[in-house]
Amino acid sequence: MNSIHVTGLRVRHRKTLALDSLDLGLGTGVHGLLGPNGAGKTSLIRVLATVARPDAGRVEILGEDTAEHRGRTEVRRRLGYLPQEFGYYPGFTVREFVAYVAWLKEVPAERVPDAVERAVTRVGLADRADAKVRTLSGGMVRRVGIAQAIVNDPAVLLLDEPTAGLDPEQRVEFRALLRELGTSATVVVSTHLVEDVAAACTEVTLLDAGRVAYRGTPEALTVLGEASDGPGDHPIERGYTAVLRAHRAAGSGAREAVR
Amino acid sequence: MRDGDARVWHVSGEFAARYAGGTLPEPDAWSLEKHVEDCAGCASRVSDAVGATTAGTVLAQVRAAVLETVLDPAPDPVPETAPTPVRRTAPERHPVGRTTSERRPAERTAPGRRPGRPTAPRPRTRAARSSPRPPGSRLPRLLWAAGPAVRGAWLPAVLVVAAGALALAYGAGLPGTRALLLAVAPVVPVTGIALSYGPHADPLHEIAAATPGGGLRLALIRTVAVLTVSVPLLTLTGLLLPASGAPAAAAWLLPGLALSLGSLALASFIGCRAAALVTGGGWLAAVLGPVPVASGDAGGARLAEQLSRCLDGIGAQSAWAAAAVLSAVLLTARRPAYDRPLGR
Repeated sequence: MNSIHVTGLRVRHRKTLALDSLDLGLGTGVHGLLGPNGAGKTSLIRVLATVARPDAGRVEILGEDTAEHRGRTEVRRRLGYLPQEFGYYPGFTVREFVAYVAWLKEVPAERVPDAVERAVTRVGLADRADAKVRTLSGGMVRRVGIAQAIVNDPAVLLLDEPTAGLDPEQRVEFRALLRELGTSATVVVSTHLVEDVAAACTEVTLLDAGRVAYRGTPEALTVLGEASDGPGDHPIERGYTAVLRAHRAAGSGAREAVR
Repeated sequence: MRDGDARVWHVSGEFAARYAGGTLPEPDAWSLEKHVEDCAGCASRVSDAVGATTAGTVLAQVRAAVLETVLDPAPDPVPETAPTPVRRTAPERHPVGRTTSERRPAERTAPGRRPGRPTAPRPRTRAARSSPRPPGSRLPRLLWAAGPAVRGAWLPAVLVVAAGALALAYGAGLPGTRALLLAVAPVVPVTGIALSYGPHADPLHEIAAATPGGGLRLALIRTVAVLTVSVPLLTLTGLLLPASGAPAAAAWLLPGLALSLGSLALASFIGCRAAALVTGGGWLAAVLGPVPVASGDAGGARLAEQLSRCLDGIGAQSAWAAAAVLSAVLLTARRPAYDRPLGR
């Protein structure tokens, strides 16, 4: 039972094709979205977050068609989204910021204080809840971003580069949080840190040039890497580069064949 | 990090009581606060001491009251927890201190916390932190959330327009000031809206765009915030200015509303900024265009005349009312466009 179902998705970003006839089904668990810069990771996350409009294809989330206004509103109530870059109102405290997003997500007013407390505690910011967001370090601001994403206990959680700016210790804590969230929700994490995927994800999707280059478990990617002699310091990194090269070779082979 | 630290002392009961009573000298209080960040035993001793003071008693009462309010089905989601001025007196044992000890610093210290800096939270601030909600100053923050424009450069600009008009009229004795104010007034809310909503104006826009409440509802709430500030301010200023041939001070209200709604409707096609340029610029061109530049009193008279054509009489005002209704209808029809980020 997939909570995200994408068929024939095409997204244009400026003049280039960011995503090209992409088919993808994602269910409960933590899904790592890997790929080089410009592979289409952010484009895919923005479409899944119902922020960007696809140029073609169908995106179904939690059984609702996101092309329709009613379906989109339903999905948005149960969605958590952390953009790669996000702003905040500098006068707001952590608690106010998270409560404001809870209000935008239409969390019932009587549940907001508890939901905010819980989200802030889960990201380890309980003792800074009344600090102004602008006084926090980069890593803490990112954790505030994660708190706003999970404040409505989302069924689908989309995180674009959530570990950027976190120090190693915070990353370890964050992966634990990811694993916990992944037991009940569909979590999609875009990252270019392969070790995040190895540690926290139940499944990997590797994108390259707007297409799916590989899908499988982190373990399978590691096994691929152990078998290959490509560059990389860890087996999973070698698996990543091996898959990318194979995909590109197949792509150019196919283009040759068409000629 | 401080494993090798030669700190041997712990907080004695007497020390904790003096800290809670606020009689401990400043440097000692700092050392104590630094120490309890890492020492759970001392932290609980200090929090018990603080909990035993009158402040603790008051806090317990507040907590009980708040819990009662929150658990009460009667909808009052924002319990008032005004900071009660507290005199710390002789300790009287009270089975509270939970709110304080729940946030025992040694357990809650964030990994990223910088060591070695005297954060020096006074007992007072600790007590305030223990309350479920930060007290006070909710209204300004609400306004803030209602419209980024209301806190940015726009609000001072509106105040400058109002104060400038009064200064021109009474300081410089310029007779055509009300006409000038009426010419500028409808543009004020239009700019306010452009500075309140959309990717370029709202730092939270990307997050808001993925929420059910981030679309037209948010744009309308922010429009209301902008109008709430500009309508009374500019109308009252207009009333204070000598008429000298210009239309009534309230004559701009319908055009202001029509241009605001028109801006919102147009923004669904071309984005907020471009829409404000079209509607605001169009209005200014229509009103100021026929007036020769810098021709003193004659210019003022021409402006008043031109404004009268645009604003005076049942015909003109009905036309503006019709334009406002039309814009509202168009905006309703274009509502789905607000579901995705508007054009930049």
